[in-house]
Amino acid sequence: MTIPVSRREFLNLLGAYGGTSAVLQAGAALGFMPASSQAAEISLQANSGKKVAILGTGISALTTAWELTKAGYDCTLLEASHRPGGRMFTVRAGTVIDEIGNYQRCEWDDDPHLYFNAGAARIPSIHSNVLKYCKELEVELQVFVNESRTAWVQDDAFNGGKPVRNADYSSSMQGFVSEMLAKSLGESQLDSSLTESESETLLGMVRSFGDLNEDMLYKGTVRAGYGSGGFLDHGTTKDVIALRDLLKTRLARNVMVTNQEGTGSGPLLMQPVGGMDRIIYAFANRLKDRIKFLAPVTEVMVKDDGVEVAYEQNGVTEMLKADYCFNCIPSHLMTGIPNNFPDDYTEALGYIRRGNAYKAAFQAKERFWEKENIYGGITWVNAPTQQIWYPPHNIHGKKGVVLAAYNFGGANYTEMSQEDRIEDFLKHGEKVHPNYREMAEKPITIAWHRMNNMLGCAARWARDGAWSEKEEQMYETLRQPVNGRHYLIGDQSTQHSAWMESAIQSAHYAMADLDQRVRSEPA
Amino acid sequence: MKKFITATTLIALSAFFSIASQAAEGDVGVAATMDDRYCTTCHGAEGRGNIAIDAPRLAGMEAWYLKRQLENFRAGIRGTHGEDTQGIAMQPMAAKLTDESIADIVDWVGDWEYVPAEATVDGNVNQGRNAFQSCAACHGANAEGNEALGAPALAGQNDWYMITQLRNFRAGYRGSHREDTYGSQMLTMSKTLRDDQAIINVVSYINTLQK
Repeated sequence: MTIPVSRREFLNLLGAYGGTSAVLQAGAALGFMPASSQAAEISLQANSGKKVAILGTGISALTTAWELTKAGYDCTLLEASHRPGGRMFTVRAGTVIDEIGNYQRCEWDDDPHLYFNAGAARIPSIHSNVLKYCKELEVELQVFVNESRTAWVQDDAFNGGKPVRNADYSSSMQGFVSEMLAKSLGESQLDSSLTESESETLLGMVRSFGDLNEDMLYKGTVRAGYGSGGFLDHGTTKDVIALRDLLKTRLARNVMVTNQEGTGSGPLLMQPVGGMDRIIYAFANRLKDRIKFLAPVTEVMVKDDGVEVAYEQNGVTEMLKADYCFNCIPSHLMTGIPNNFPDDYTEALGYIRRGNAYKAAFQAKERFWEKENIYGGITWVNAPTQQIWYPPHNIHGKKGVVLAAYNFGGANYTEMSQEDRIEDFLKHGEKVHPNYREMAEKPITIAWHRMNNMLGCAARWARDGAWSEKEEQMYETLRQPVNGRHYLIGDQSTQHSAWMESAIQSAHYAMADLDQRVRSEPA
Repeated sequence: MKKFITATTLIALSAFFSIASQAAEGDVGVAATMDDRYCTTCHGAEGRGNIAIDAPRLAGMEAWYLKRQLENFRAGIRGTHGEDTQGIAMQPMAAKLTDESIADIVDWVGDWEYVPAEATVDGNVNQGRNAFQSCAACHGANAEGNEALGAPALAGQNDWYMITQLRNFRAGYRGSHREDTYGSQMLTMSKTLRDDQAIINVVSYINTLQK
């Protein structure tokens, strides 16, 4: 049952998160839409055949090639890998996962529903440029369910290690937080700052938010699902999970915030039907012969009148001379490629750290989660595996591909053997689903730190939380083209890495600069 | 900027297998080459080393040394000490190499042009020269290496890599595996460098030598 929490304790908590001033100042933001909700209008001056070398085929590179080709530029893309897309990588039957030292070949059933987005996996509604290209290139989208209240929360320290439904956890947490807020509203400084009507509105919301009873106390809610009945008979509420028990796990930090659209999450996200790489191929198939695969760049020399790029193909070194170069090779790999960039540019390139994300997945013999009333969303576990995702598509189909681990920091997975990685996610997963091990077949793992031609996930700029002045400077250095000829693009060249939207916007930013230069050239 | 594919390379490559890259029907892309020539991803174009990955220069490395080092990594003689961060990164890369792959890699690396690495440290060269006398006994007066003694060339190598390895030897992160014969010699010798500054000094001196 509930354990009372003193008002003092609660106000201390509030203080820790900036007190009440933020609440009272909130009005200022009304009426504004974030800039990112607008897709860019690209209007490049038509151009007859200026040559552009594009290094890499990540989404920033493909965006550049697509737009510049439409404007009449003569683009050539050099890709070190056998496939386009970089970290937009979908695994399905037959896919080669070229982790260095740990090659895998996906042996899942050959079925269009059975795929796994090993890199980018979700499209928020506000990532307008991604959506714009999906529309333009006719990439069919479907809803991706990011949050499911029937998914689980599991922590060895909480509820004896037994999983609890997200709804049980989050409804109770919401209830108690509301109860504390309601108590403080009656007495605290808040009420003197608000009109009676405002207080009433706020209190009404708080009550509704927590599903509090008439005494403004949380005594359970049917939002967590019924304890019994609910359809033919009156529903009863489930037992309340005591606040002190809820606080035994820190997973609330994840569980309570998965529906925050602004940060790129949200209850409703989108995914292309058939895999995220459908976006990549929508571009790449249209650019076709312009892309050279298995063509790693070996030198980039910026000249007064253009850029000379050396690359290897079939064991032979070739030279590509272009007027301009757009480069999305990961910064940590570019530092290993001979170049004549200025010192401050090279220093900035070498400063960016490589992200260390890790994902694992398996083909499930049956859609066992559906038998547990789960139809998508995320289970949160307090283990390095962190998350389990259930495919929201092909509901009631035969099989499905489950994300078994998603660790942003990579933990020690990169160093672990394939066998140990698999055992790790099975071990943690079976605490949530008793039949997990039995259901999992043909597991795969993606340690981005060791993927060939990538060696890392999203760029990591800031080393101490907020960006330092020096970091801001280095960022600006990399945003300026070398000699007006060489542009660094990709999510590494943005302040919000790890998103396709950022990568696309970096390409737009660079192309706008190019366009301005070209327009100002004497006719 | 050169070199055409050699006959031996062609034969070696044909021994590896390739697999069709799988996306949907009609998608662009080529077959994935599942060979073991992935060194340059970490070690940089033409194996010139990449500080961002902590991956040293391979170009100019002696074939016998490269072979021994790969075999040691493969066997877990190197790259398995818990504190050897860079070695741990390398070890799994080598773990699955066959003798043929190692021979192919050594052959491939031999194709690369030797270009001395740029200096990144600025220690006391005079003090470094004195300290180097004990190194010279095995590695040669010009740090050119000595196969007979199992001592690789140092001149032209990335200085940051040599610093890391001297620190690792001194701390026992490298060279303490009981089968690491040459490493254990090096572990002993590294103790003659009494502190980190001494390491930086000797490496600064090595920077002045040409292979």
